[in-house]
Amino acid sequence: MENVIEVTGMSFGYTRDMILEDVDFAVERGDFAVVIGDNGVGKSTMVKLLLGVLRPTKGSISICGKNLTSLRGTGIGYLPQNSGSKASTFPATCEEIVMSGLYKKIGFGRFPGKDHKKKAEEALKMVDMLDKRKSLIGELSGGQQQRVMLARVLAGDPEILILDEPTVGIDAESVDRLLHILHHLNIDKKVTILMVTHDVEKAGPYANRVLCLSEGACREELLPDAKIVHAHAHSHPHGGVEHIHCANCEHGDAHGHDAEHCAECAHCDSSCEHGDHVHHEDKEHAHHAQHGKGGEENA
Amino acid sequence: MRNTEKEVRRMPEILQYTYMQRALFVGLLLSVIVACLGTVMVHKRLSLIGDALSHSSLAGVALGLLMGFNPIVGAMSVCIIAAFSIEVIRKKLGNHSELAVAIVMSTGIGLAGVMSGFVKSSADFNSFLFGSIVAISSFEARLVMILSVIVLLAFILLYKELFYISFDEQAASISGVPVGTVNAIFTILTAVTVSIAARTVGALIVSSLLVVPVAAAMSIARSYRTTVLWAAFVSVCSTIGGLVLSFYLGLKPGGTIVLISVAFFLIFRCIAFFRGRSTSSKGA
Repeated sequence: MENVIEVTGMSFGYTRDMILEDVDFAVERGDFAVVIGDNGVGKSTMVKLLLGVLRPTKGSISICGKNLTSLRGTGIGYLPQNSGSKASTFPATCEEIVMSGLYKKIGFGRFPGKDHKKKAEEALKMVDMLDKRKSLIGELSGGQQQRVMLARVLAGDPEILILDEPTVGIDAESVDRLLHILHHLNIDKKVTILMVTHDVEKAGPYANRVLCLSEGACREELLPDAKIVHAHAHSHPHGGVEHIHCANCEHGDAHGHDAEHCAECAHCDSSCEHGDHVHHEDKEHAHHAQHGKGGEENA
Repeated sequence: MRNTEKEVRRMPEILQYTYMQRALFVGLLLSVIVACLGTVMVHKRLSLIGDALSHSSLAGVALGLLMGFNPIVGAMSVCIIAAFSIEVIRKKLGNHSELAVAIVMSTGIGLAGVMSGFVKSSADFNSFLFGSIVAISSFEARLVMILSVIVLLAFILLYKELFYISFDEQAASISGVPVGTVNAIFTILTAVTVSIAARTVGALIVSSLLVVPVAAAMSIARSYRTTVLWAAFVSVCSTIGGLVLSFYLGLKPGGTIVLISVAFFLIFRCIAFFRGRSTSSKGA
């Protein structure tokens, strides 16, 4: 399977101290990848690096085989955290907001046509918000606002969807609904998803690939079907985690590589019981686990 | 000949004077473009940028009067420099980016204050403080007309880009909107509009016209598009109403225009309040 996101030996620091160090990570087409880690460990920094907002101090990032210099023209959709709350005071209808996601299709200095309006309606329908298309964004609940923001991203037909803690600040029911929509997009529309989240319990069962930036956050029992990659990360000055070791073996540093490739624990594959990191392709299986179906298989 | 005289007599008194016809025409054009730019400005959370630019324009006026060139040209040049300085300082200050507006405004006021001391004709300088919409020359009227066409065309062509940048600049950039270019065009348009408007309605009043009609429109509008339209409506009504009232009651036009727009804001807030109450009572 083709790698759509490939991070190689990437390090980054806002000062001379590195937050992320020698991170190697790849996301294949059709993956539902999740980035987890404690506060201040560099999850959002990782997203900014993937979006080209920040440049890595060392190493490289490639998107769909092209070295990342700018995201213009790439098929990436981005949903930031609390994106809806920022819009609460903005006097725009849901339809107007979703139409802005069609910018690339309409083009600079051109006017949207009937097709674009139809496309915006389709995107709103996908997130079950079509009936609210004439409502002001500020009149909606946090969960509804987040779905409208997702519709805006979807209107642009992204191949890759990057989400930075999309479930923060919304109620449990809305979280389930949002994750269900993402799962549907991943399975039916073949959209590759990379999501930063704290909510391992909710998002974990959907993921088939996990980048773990801090040991404490990586609760493997919640990630039954995922290939887990441990990255070498340092915390921000106020964060909690100082240094990350390979969680699957006790032989030290994973250096941001998959455990199979960890130089320090070459015997992982044979002697360590965690050596075999299963990569399940069957994401329906993960979905069933989330909804209580197929529980026995997962157990 | 007699027919023409009769026709003039049949016109309302205010339209019988050429200077008032010109003032109404210029006021109408300016009120529309100021509302369009103001809508973007308010939603980019840069409401005070109008204040900074209009005060900086006074430094340009003083410079023009001192050096002996057209004060409007001086105001435009200084406004453009001030507008780009705000952008540069904003990026350098990071989390305290709002200070950029205050720094540029203070610099503008300081320079204007010092330079105005050297201006021989203080009446000329003072006319820029509160404007002199009824003393507009035909050159200024033509300038406003050309500028208005350019600003309106740019606003219509860049409508969706400006909407997207105002709503979410980072997402707009990721979607391929040339944010830097659009922001630069918007900055130049704003600077030029503010310097022209400072001459007509006054430097101390132009910033109010950029913000108050938009604030009024936001109270009752049900979309971004209608916010622009309502803001333009309030701005036009305030300007024309202000000119008419000031003509018949002998008031200062600039101040009257702003006070009418504030009255619109209060009325629209009341409408929004009662509409909200009726909606919630229906809901109950």
